[in-house]
Amino acid sequence: MTSETGFDPELYKRFPVREDRPEGELEELERLWEQPKGWARLTIVNNNYVGLWYVAAAFLFFLLAGILALVMRVQLALPLQGILPQETYNQFFTMHGTVMMFLFAVPMMEALGVMLLPQMLAARDLPFPRLSAYAFWAYFVGGISFFASLFVGLAPNGGWFMYPPLTGKAFSPGINADFWLLGIGFIEISAIAGAIEIIVGVLRTRAPNMTLDKMPIFAWGMLVFASMIIIAFPAVIMCTLFLELERAFNWPFFDPTRGGDPLLWQHLFWFFGHPEVYIIFLPAAALVSMMIPALARTTLIGHDLIVLAFLATAFISFGVWSHHMFATGMPRLSVGFFAAASMAVSVPAGIQVFSWIATFASGKPRHNTPTLFVLGGLVIFVMGGLTGVMVAMVPFDWQVHDTYFIVAHLHYVLIGGALFPVFAVFYYWIGMTSSRPLSERLGKWTFWLMFVGVHVTFLPMHITGFMGMPRRVYTYLPGGDLTFTNFLSTVGAFVLAAGVLLFLVDLARNFRFTVNKGAGNTYGGGTLEWLPTGLYSARSIPVVKSRYPLWDDPDISRDVEEGRYFLPGAPTGNRETLITSPVRAEPQYVQIMPGPSVWPLFSAVGTAGFFLLLTIEAYIPSFASGILAVLCVLRWMWDTDRVAAAEEVDVGAGIMLPTYVTGRSTHGWWAMVILLIVVFMLFLMTLFSYLYLFGVQPDFWQEPPALSTGFVALGLYGAAAGFAWLGRRLLAREKSTLWSPSTASIVGALLLLPALIADYWSVSAVLDPVMSGQGAVAHAFLANQMMLVLIAALMALYLGARTARNLVIRPRNNTVDLVTLFVVYTAVQGSASALIIRLVSGAG
Amino acid sequence: MSRPISTRSSLESVFKGWPPPVLDPAGPYAGSISVLSWVLFAMAVVVLGVVLAALGVALFGGQRLKSRLGGQAVIWLGGIALPIVVLTALLVYGLSLTRNLGTPAPPGAMRVQVTGEMWWWRVAYLDSSGKVALWDANELHIPVGETVVLELRSADVIHSFWVPRLSGKLDMIPGRVNLMKIKADKPGSYGGQCAEYCGGPHALMGFVVVAHEPAEFRRIMADRQAALASKPPSGGRGEQLFASAGCAACHRIAGTPFNGMAGPDLTHVGTRRTLGAGILPNNRGTLMGWIGNAQAIKPGNRMPPYSVLPADDIRDLALYLEQQR
Amino acid sequence: MPEANAARGRKVMARVGCASCHTIPGIAWPQGQVGPALQGFAAGNLISGQLPNRPDVLAAYVRNAPEVLPGTTMPAMPISEREARDVAAYLYTLEP
Repeated sequence: MTSETGFDPELYKRFPVREDRPEGELEELERLWEQPKGWARLTIVNNNYVGLWYVAAAFLFFLLAGILALVMRVQLALPLQGILPQETYNQFFTMHGTVMMFLFAVPMMEALGVMLLPQMLAARDLPFPRLSAYAFWAYFVGGISFFASLFVGLAPNGGWFMYPPLTGKAFSPGINADFWLLGIGFIEISAIAGAIEIIVGVLRTRAPNMTLDKMPIFAWGMLVFASMIIIAFPAVIMCTLFLELERAFNWPFFDPTRGGDPLLWQHLFWFFGHPEVYIIFLPAAALVSMMIPALARTTLIGHDLIVLAFLATAFISFGVWSHHMFATGMPRLSVGFFAAASMAVSVPAGIQVFSWIATFASGKPRHNTPTLFVLGGLVIFVMGGLTGVMVAMVPFDWQVHDTYFIVAHLHYVLIGGALFPVFAVFYYWIGMTSSRPLSERLGKWTFWLMFVGVHVTFLPMHITGFMGMPRRVYTYLPGGDLTFTNFLSTVGAFVLAAGVLLFLVDLARNFRFTVNKGAGNTYGGGTLEWLPTGLYSARSIPVVKSRYPLWDDPDISRDVEEGRYFLPGAPTGNRETLITSPVRAEPQYVQIMPGPSVWPLFSAVGTAGFFLLLTIEAYIPSFASGILAVLCVLRWMWDTDRVAAAEEVDVGAGIMLPTYVTGRSTHGWWAMVILLIVVFMLFLMTLFSYLYLFGVQPDFWQEPPALSTGFVALGLYGAAAGFAWLGRRLLAREKSTLWSPSTASIVGALLLLPALIADYWSVSAVLDPVMSGQGAVAHAFLANQMMLVLIAALMALYLGARTARNLVIRPRNNTVDLVTLFVVYTAVQGSASALIIRLVSGAG
Repeated sequence: MSRPISTRSSLESVFKGWPPPVLDPAGPYAGSISVLSWVLFAMAVVVLGVVLAALGVALFGGQRLKSRLGGQAVIWLGGIALPIVVLTALLVYGLSLTRNLGTPAPPGAMRVQVTGEMWWWRVAYLDSSGKVALWDANELHIPVGETVVLELRSADVIHSFWVPRLSGKLDMIPGRVNLMKIKADKPGSYGGQCAEYCGGPHALMGFVVVAHEPAEFRRIMADRQAALASKPPSGGRGEQLFASAGCAACHRIAGTPFNGMAGPDLTHVGTRRTLGAGILPNNRGTLMGWIGNAQAIKPGNRMPPYSVLPADDIRDLALYLEQQR
Repeated sequence: MPEANAARGRKVMARVGCASCHTIPGIAWPQGQVGPALQGFAAGNLISGQLPNRPDVLAAYVRNAPEVLPGTTMPAMPISEREARDVAAYLYTLEP
């Protein structure tokens, strides 16, 4: 057996150890993981709590958006009703779509990840608990304020995909659209924070020997989910930023009369928006693949194929964004390509559906509520998938595009692919977080009401669409035959709502929150989340030998609880978890985890305040709020990257692991690299926009500044990278004083600023951001770069402060490593954008 | 003056829901899609049947059947082979079925410019040299049996032109011109509406295509051309009111000094099937209601209410407009 | 008017667009404001303030008002005599 890190797999054979653990060790563990009480609960960062809050908040948004849908259904029950005035209706449907997609579906999947992943991987917590807390609070505070815009009539009204020019300043002069652009842009930041956390969590905090092929399928699903967020969400952040810049400063990204193009928005938005559907579907499907083996009492058939299907879905989903644009008059060849790709994506879906059927067939399925929700979801999802194949057929799409047929299709896909699985999850995993399970009797009623409700609501909508009713209409004319199917849909919506209401009753009667006295493994699952847990999660972290350890090793629960595996205590006297290698999950070091803190909460409130106050054009309070947020983040960072007293500790069975590690194998390095991928995607989207406008608006393209005008900037960027690198090198040399390495790093970071100014100075002499799309995107490159330069400067100050307090240890230090990485990246990206602006020439 | 005018076609026949217009085509460009719809529908029903049957066996089947279904082979068969075969067949068949949609229009085909505006449609019939021959709004007349090319544009935000019985929809995008072919096989009125959300009263942005026998079509167009050359001033009170109330700031009536281009052209408003962009029947009464307070009928549209005008002024304006034929 | 049918009358009114000038109970849209609202029409004594509110007069008036009452602003409407009777029947169902 080979090894990934030099760890000897023979060592695993020492577990479970025979001898008993020392007295008092468990009490120490409990004391360390004790959570604050009373108001101090708000400072909790542990995933058992934050995960549940996250799930609850997402569910709250589901209920709110559902209520909006019910009111809209009442308005559409009969033709030309006046229950919702036109403007209010337009705000309602915009909010319904936006809230369901951005505040319910994606956050719900992230929330389930935060809640379930550490347990499934037998980690004590996610690797960055404070980041999860920040992501949650930013989402919750931001989401609630965003939703509240509805009560004052300022909610966005441009539809959830906000096509300009309708959403531009000329046709949407109010601040409604700004609420969407800033609110959503900001909630995406929270989603990205969560995604970074999840990727590092899945790849670096798995239980020892849980190699990739033994990893639970939900971890695979979340890994692909989070990677897709990393790739896709920058596109929507970039296009919302562009539109906001167009609205605020009149930069014509989407204005065809000045060399912009309204379709640029659609390309960017759907490059995010289509993967978004799979971003929602994949984790839900992965959860189904986790539940079915337990519900059918057998192992999952086609595990490897499902993992391949995840990867294929992710890959294909980035190639089909244009199928939302078939009716825009695209060239025929690309229409054919996108049609084929859109159909291809149904193959991985088919793999999963038939894997589930095969698993049910080979097992002994039980008749209980989660099984019903899984099966019901499967049927609904298949129906939505089939109408999806229909609309992938381009000429057919030309008829049904933007009609109620599409409304029916997307609801079938999302309800079958995500909502029903989520309800199954509630019933299946409630035993982890509640001391009582939910009622089977009420659950079956809930299921049948919801299942019937979905069909009565959405099946007739296919016909409504065929009869010519476009989507997003606040009313329709009488005299035709639209009334019947519309009325039926309204009735169905209330049946569906009755099911959800019954679920709430069930929750009220049976849900009793607990972390360590859960009702437990009601349905007999075989994965690690059903190990006995305390506040600290599993007492000890087992060596994983199969995909269903609880089924294959009947003693594992007892051995784990008695501390016979890894990390049975707290050897450094802190909260800790085990960091393992990405492929084979070999133990690498003990990570010291931060405990409760109020700073993530404050910085989230500050971030939300920054964006929301910006929306209402209160600039000074907004910037004050933003600065507050930054200071709070720095304050929370300050506690991290500390050295423990013992350099190496015994993690069980005499295996010694380090407590402080630097370089590429650290979880911090991984997170920074993923963050830089996000930043790179932002850059790539800007580059795409630049080349796209170059392609479609050649008449507006002017000669860029000469290449020679960029030499100063390039030289300064080079120097910045050089100094940063030098700083890191000097740190390792014992001779230099402590300050000189930091000084070099700081000089490097600060050199970025003159480089940017030099670049800006020569670009703005030639290109005007208001005059043309070219100028606007060129300045977007610079704005992008400015953000990085400011962050680098902030990092430099932070590094200076830590150096002054003697927190920078030698020869190597994570803070210095990460600052170096960031500064070098910023210099490279700055050079790249300086070159691109000058090289894409109109003469070509 | 006191005889009731007639409605040539009631609104209901234009915006009827059943039979679904997508499945009730009136021309070749909608026809091939309608066949495709049935094929796709049949495919969906069959595949759903297969999945449900497999699921039924998995849950309730006998042990022998279940064990056959419970293996990796089923995934290869049902999850990979089935979709690939079905989808490839569909793609090839579907694209060949709808080949006619991709062919270029015959040279010399009649061309009409249709421009989406918030929340109505500007129509311009082009002559053979591409110049505007006649202006109209919210209604398009075409000859039966001939392919007509529509140049779709937008004056403000994105709209989408959709007359389901004649063709699939195509977006109208600022800064672009999209070409659409339509052809009607039999005379009649075909309703359509804006399919891309365009804000405000998007729900009330309808359109009517009227197909005539070719001879009749040419007569109508010739009459209109002739009328342009010699539109006699009515000299009536309505005409004076049209000037004094400021209607001409936005509306044009060819052959008169009224030349506003912001709103729909009213040169032939008396012949239209509908008012308010396909939402009201067109008669004296509805004309009066629309002139008096269009906001009560189509909230948010750009026509201001004229509630200040006394009722007999509104009546005389309506009578004047009714004569614009 | 034994053969007149109020339900049919309401449909006729919706079809020809009476509601573009009058707000009419039972017709949700439009709610025109050019002419008087017709709520409680059945209880009124006079049509347009001048004519006796009798079924035969009303039926003639809704079809061709200028002929029945020269100088009125209410226009003639494109409906048949039978439809006019149905409309009148509907108007008599409009209690205050």
